[in-house]
Amino acid sequence: MASNAAPDTHAKPPLRESFAVQGRVVGALLIREVITRYGRHNIGFLWLFVEPMLFTLGVTALWTATKNLHGSDLPIAAFALTGYSTVLLWRNMPGRTIGAIKANSALLYHRNIKPLDIYLARVLLEAGGATISFIVLGVVFIAIEWIEPPEDILVVTAGWLMLAWFGAALAIALGTLSYLSELVDKFWHPFSYLMFPLSGAAFLVSALPVSFQEIVLLFPMVHGVEFIREGFFGSKIIAIYDLSYLLVFNLVLSVFALLFTRYVSRRVVPG
Amino acid sequence: MITIENLHKTYPTRFGEKEVLSDVNFELRKGEKLGILGRNGAGKSTLIRLISGAEFPTKGRVRADMSVSWPLAFGGAFQENLTGVDNVRFISRIYAQDFESNLAFVEEFSELGAYLREEVRTYSSGMRARLAFAISMITEFDCFLIDEISAVGDARFHDRCNYELFEKRNDRAMVIVSHDPSYISDHCDRFAILNDGRMTFYSDFDEAYGLFRNTMGLAQANAPEKREIPKSRKQLIEYTHTAAMRDELFQATVFEADIKGKAKEWERAEALYREALERQPYQRSYWVQVAHMAKEAGYIVRAESAYRTACALGEPLAEVEMFVEDLMQRQNLDPTDFPIQAYIAAAAFKQPPANPDIELLCDLCWGNARFSDDETCDAMRHVVCLDELLSKIIADPRFEAAHKDWLGHYVKGEAPTAPLPEPIDPQGAQASVSSRNLVSVLALSDRAGVQAAMATELDASDDRWALVQSWGGFGDWPQTVQALKQFKNEPAAVG
Repeated sequence: MASNAAPDTHAKPPLRESFAVQGRVVGALLIREVITRYGRHNIGFLWLFVEPMLFTLGVTALWTATKNLHGSDLPIAAFALTGYSTVLLWRNMPGRTIGAIKANSALLYHRNIKPLDIYLARVLLEAGGATISFIVLGVVFIAIEWIEPPEDILVVTAGWLMLAWFGAALAIALGTLSYLSELVDKFWHPFSYLMFPLSGAAFLVSALPVSFQEIVLLFPMVHGVEFIREGFFGSKIIAIYDLSYLLVFNLVLSVFALLFTRYVSRRVVPG
Repeated sequence: MITIENLHKTYPTRFGEKEVLSDVNFELRKGEKLGILGRNGAGKSTLIRLISGAEFPTKGRVRADMSVSWPLAFGGAFQENLTGVDNVRFISRIYAQDFESNLAFVEEFSELGAYLREEVRTYSSGMRARLAFAISMITEFDCFLIDEISAVGDARFHDRCNYELFEKRNDRAMVIVSHDPSYISDHCDRFAILNDGRMTFYSDFDEAYGLFRNTMGLAQANAPEKREIPKSRKQLIEYTHTAAMRDELFQATVFEADIKGKAKEWERAEALYREALERQPYQRSYWVQVAHMAKEAGYIVRAESAYRTACALGEPLAEVEMFVEDLMQRQNLDPTDFPIQAYIAAAAFKQPPANPDIELLCDLCWGNARFSDDETCDAMRHVVCLDELLSKIIADPRFEAAHKDWLGHYVKGEAPTAPLPEPIDPQGAQASVSSRNLVSVLALSDRAGVQAAMATELDASDDRWALVQSWGGFGDWPQTVQALKQFKNEPAAVG
């Protein structure tokens, strides 16, 4: 045996090949997910971003009607767009990854499909939906002159990507943990609702009392939201954020997410 | 070649760790076909998953220098609201293959036609199986893993699958797990038994299967039947098919009998069917098999009484009529003189007797003595009901010989009586097949706990007849009561 050791297909192939396989698999899973979730009926996959759009529009209408106090003289539409869209961004991704492996464990019979691929496909899909919804609504609001165009679109993009990264890392970490314990699913829903008012979606940090600001700034997504608002309305508001805090948080969370994924991948039973 | 080295797999359970595979080692060369035998839950599917690379071993490794398939014809990964075409497209993407040519193959092979464009949720299980197998064949592998494929689709499709797999891909290696041992014996050249996490290898199927049945028999002897006892003989007959389906040792014995039957080893096949029926004596379909085998082996009388048994247990007359007529003509008898008695759903004493009843009642009444084959067949022709059968057994000198003491007391009117035993936990009770069946035939109690206690006491008793009588057993069987009274009328005959 040992003398004529043969190449081992169960061993790792070269990195570039691995990326090609992973890209292919994630792509296939993504398309499969779109068809399974949205089907071919009525508007089909347009629901991907119509659904978050309806959420944001609903919240905009609600806040307008209740004259929501957010601590600035920005138009409420602008506030809802930059605030609620980000909540959808980081909240929907974990919603889709929790329980994803159990629901799709049969797919793991195909050796190239790994738990991480299933997570990536779902995370990309959710992030895509929230992003398209954000862009479409933004363009529409600007076109009908409810809001001004963003002052620095690059800052908005960077803030958005940082929050998407946060959501993705959180989603994969929670997804893997939910495979290990059902409690994750039970706790996530109340937790995500409670986080909404603290996430910076409904207020400007500068409008809060200083003592409260310190607490709120412990939540990483607040920094992302503030940064996006900086890009949108920079000259009209005072945005308070520390991007490096969010960056470090994202990095640490990502490392844990990948470690958990590795742990689960080695233990998951297909079928 | 695939090399399995020192493979261990442990699963966490609520009661601690369970080692499913422990130190499995083997090599599979190109073109070799390995068939794995194992009881339910022995770890066959786990091993398949480990070889496929879909799951990781706890210890040890799987090395492969050939491409290995996913477990074949596995339809579980189909998404209900995807169409057949979507599923083909998905697999084509995953394995980087040309979708158009794959689709053409699946269309041709699965013969699903327009259904291929419907959602999988609308498919019947047969259609799913066809789609699954066709999709399995679009990717080429050096080694195919086959986990329970034999129950797929109709006979013609089964043949086409076999052609696709075993003729066209005969040069590939295969690992096959199946409940149907004939599938394994037909297609494999190496065999392994997986038991208690360990694998043992054989090159001869008969040797492997014989040992496999032994391990299974030992395991079942250690953990006998624990389900509730049927309340009556009627219920016993209605339940027995399900019970037999669940009885692994019964199934394994029957499979081996089927194989011997196909090989025209009639006597061996008959003996094996009878061995299986000892576990489930009231399973009528296998009495037909016993009869077929005995007929082929030339045991005409035994065959006739087995056919009659099947009918008495509910086999439709039309299925066996022509066989019985033929057998009787061979014995120069007129079939119309002895019509076949069909099953009636009634109290046990009114039901027509079958071979297992003769066995059961002789055992109870005569100790070691038995009906001969001729006597059995004669009873199957003439005796109308179980009550009549038992009264004849009692009137026979062999009864008197076996129960002198009890008869002495009985004639004096001093036969002991006893209440039915206190109920016990029916799940915890263990009793022999004959005691369980006797309790069903007696139908003295509707309570599962009491029945279980009765069966346990019968097993422990050295005079089961006296015990049954003390409970008042057969008290509502008129001819039997009459037959016993005869002893009081002729006390001289006793002692």
